[in-house]
Amino acid sequence: MLLPVELRGRLERLSLVARRRVRAQWAGRHGSQHKGESLDFADYREYVPGDDFRRIDHNLWARLGVLLVRRFEAEEELPVRVVLDRSRSMGFYSKHDTARVLAGMVAYLGLAGGDRVQVYSIPGPEGRAWAAGPAGRHLSSWPALERWLEEIEPVGGAELSPPVRRLAGEGVNRGSLVLVSDLMSPDWQSALDGLLVTSGGVVLHVLGQEELEPTLAGDLRLADAESGREVPVSTSEETMRKYRAALEAFAAGAAGRARRAGLDYVLVPAGPEAADQVLAALAGAEAVA
Amino acid sequence: MNLLAPIALGLASLAIPLVVLYMLRSRRRRVEVPSTLLWEQVGAPVSSAVPWQKLRLTPLLLLQLLVLAALVFTLARPFYSQDTLLGPHTVMVFDVSGSMAMAGRLERAKERALTMVADISEANLVSVVEAGAQPRVLAGLSRDPDLVIAAITSLQATGGNGDLSAAIRLGRGLATPDRPTSLLIFSDGGTDPLPEEPVAGARQVRIDDFGPNVGVSAWSIEPSTEGSLRAFLQLSNYGGDAKSVAAEVAVNGLPAGVVTLELPGLGEARQTIPVDAGPGDVVTVQLLDTEDSLSLDDESVLVVGGGPERKVGLSSGSPFLAALIEAAPGFTGGGEGEPELLVVDGGASATIDRPAWVIATETPPAGITPTELVRNTVVTWQRPGEPILDGVDLSQVAVAEAQVVDAPGWLPLVRAGDVPLVLLGEVEGQRVAYFTFDISKSNLPVQIGFPILGARLLDWLAGAGAGTVSSETAGTPIALSAPAGTVPRVTLPDASTRDLPPEAASFADTGLPGLYRVDYLKADGTSSPGPMAVRTFVSDESAGASRQIATADAPGAPQEAAQLIREWAPWFIGLVLLLMAIEWWVGHQRPGLRRKEAMA
Repeated sequence: MLLPVELRGRLERLSLVARRRVRAQWAGRHGSQHKGESLDFADYREYVPGDDFRRIDHNLWARLGVLLVRRFEAEEELPVRVVLDRSRSMGFYSKHDTARVLAGMVAYLGLAGGDRVQVYSIPGPEGRAWAAGPAGRHLSSWPALERWLEEIEPVGGAELSPPVRRLAGEGVNRGSLVLVSDLMSPDWQSALDGLLVTSGGVVLHVLGQEELEPTLAGDLRLADAESGREVPVSTSEETMRKYRAALEAFAAGAAGRARRAGLDYVLVPAGPEAADQVLAALAGAEAVA
Repeated sequence: MNLLAPIALGLASLAIPLVVLYMLRSRRRRVEVPSTLLWEQVGAPVSSAVPWQKLRLTPLLLLQLLVLAALVFTLARPFYSQDTLLGPHTVMVFDVSGSMAMAGRLERAKERALTMVADISEANLVSVVEAGAQPRVLAGLSRDPDLVIAAITSLQATGGNGDLSAAIRLGRGLATPDRPTSLLIFSDGGTDPLPEEPVAGARQVRIDDFGPNVGVSAWSIEPSTEGSLRAFLQLSNYGGDAKSVAAEVAVNGLPAGVVTLELPGLGEARQTIPVDAGPGDVVTVQLLDTEDSLSLDDESVLVVGGGPERKVGLSSGSPFLAALIEAAPGFTGGGEGEPELLVVDGGASATIDRPAWVIATETPPAGITPTELVRNTVVTWQRPGEPILDGVDLSQVAVAEAQVVDAPGWLPLVRAGDVPLVLLGEVEGQRVAYFTFDISKSNLPVQIGFPILGARLLDWLAGAGAGTVSSETAGTPIALSAPAGTVPRVTLPDASTRDLPPEAASFADTGLPGLYRVDYLKADGTSSPGPMAVRTFVSDESAGASRQIATADAPGAPQEAAQLIREWAPWFIGLVLLLMAIEWWVGHQRPGLRRKEAMA
């Protein structure tokens, strides 16, 4: 079971909040860029044949002699795309398990709120850039989605930017995008910049404890799990000081680029407490309510 | 600076592999990590194709080279040399005569010797000889400074003459064939030249500190015409200034009066003092408040009458023996009580339950087996150097009949051919003198030496008895004869005691002037009194005369002064440790500095 029952209960009482008006095909509970059928008045426009004449404002017609139609705010569903990084680097330090839980948590949150949820993994199988998982609009879709998430294993190494950009800009209803990744890819900056086209979302930056506070010692050749590239490192206080500075710059850069793209950013230490931390962070950022 | 092991400098070549190690790239352990994205900003990329890198002179390398240099230099054993009196084998002869007690001469000699001993190395052997009345070796051929120091520290000035000549001969006897032996004589030189001067292969460390001294130069006691006792006291002033000196007389430790004598500079004063004492009493004279430079001669002790007379039992009516017993000082043939000694003149046999002089009994004492008789024989041999026979000429003694005996374990004193005539031995722990001939059938009683021989035999037999007193100069041994089952204990003038082994025949540590008491301790804890001995300060030593002993280099000995080798090793070892500590500190990136940086 990907998500504990207790967590699911809490998630069912919450829902995702859209920061921008969404463009979607289906009515929902999020404010749309379209005018629709809600009770919130928006503006007037001239009547054209075909309009529902129940919306003609008769008072204005009597006073001005012009047929004007009342327009109301449309409420549409929020398309939520959850992008799970399953590259080989995620296979260390419980990052993959944590990332699956977080992806599932966001998906469950969307389904519970009646949003249209689509889960992706990058890279996809057999050399493809990504793989699309089950989509759904209701909690009835959760079992299939959960099963799909549980079957995902870290595989291969790939560039992060191309698939993220593709998924962020795909379709006309871009909605919200949740990227769950360690961003350990040379093109992580480009990937985050590509999220500008989304209607918001969040970057869940999952890092292992060993990456946050390395315990390596001695003269080492560090081999990149994805590229195989080796870097000679002699650990010392000075080396660790430089590493911590690089890590801080990395996290700060990622947060800046995410916010510039209109996304929230949460640095998540991998581990069993990650779900609670993320929920608390998102609530603090009013991304869930 | 010279090197004892210059070949060790070859180890400096270890610097080459050390430098090479610094030029080799270290082989790193491969560790797979999720990504090297962040690490690439930390480590310098290294090409693995070339195993060498350019040598960088780091503080660590320089320190390690310094450590190696210091270590190599230490192993090469750098040294410097100093002139020293210590040679390959040095025999230190210490004069412990009475004059060495003046003004701390012996203490100064010990200090100088101990300073030299601090320089003992493996190249030096040291022996220590004490030149007392009876010279002895305190440490022989020793490389162990602790042993030599202990021997030197134990030296004490005595009240007697030091036999420096005998000590030098003893020191020469320690000469080692494989290394030159030199003598260092720590002495004031005494008064008279040594027979062997100039002393070859020797040097004198002359100690001649001097100070004013007043000493007891004579202390005796004799009966007065009125029947009482008078003590005769003579004090000598060895300083130039006249002095008034008070002397306290004590009998058995109780004050008996104080007399004051006026002493001219370099002069003497005498006084006769009536003393209320009896035979066996210990009479002491002690100078008061002299504050002079020699304290050993400030006190003198004597025993009145040499102790009570001892009774001798005679088994026959021999007029010769009876007259001899009465004439012998300290012995009497009459009186009440059991005799302490027995003279058994003929008869069947003798019961030996006390010291006995046994003369030709039909059955000799145990240990002597008669085999036959020999007639008309004369003395042909008497034991040379035997104190009992000292000054006694028995060459004219003729014997009409004597037993031929088999006496293993007995000491023959006089023989006629192979036939022993006089034997000394012990029976059941008692001293026994045995004559194998009847003295009435010889001309021995009419010999001039007969009374002397008889008196000495009685003295020897009574030697272990209670109350006997011998008075000699300090350093003269005390003869002991512990009865069976007892252990001798000697009480010294300073009230300290020494327990001796049961078989001890003498006690030689009598350098301290004064009264020595011997007790024989039994297994049940009781004791019986033994002999007393008075050891007097030799007044010749009171003057503290000093002189330079003539010495000469040993034939064939090198003329240059002996050199003492002092190694720098301890300093270099310290330097190595210091450099290693600094290297460790630098190698661990100067933790102190890092803390400062962190705090900043």
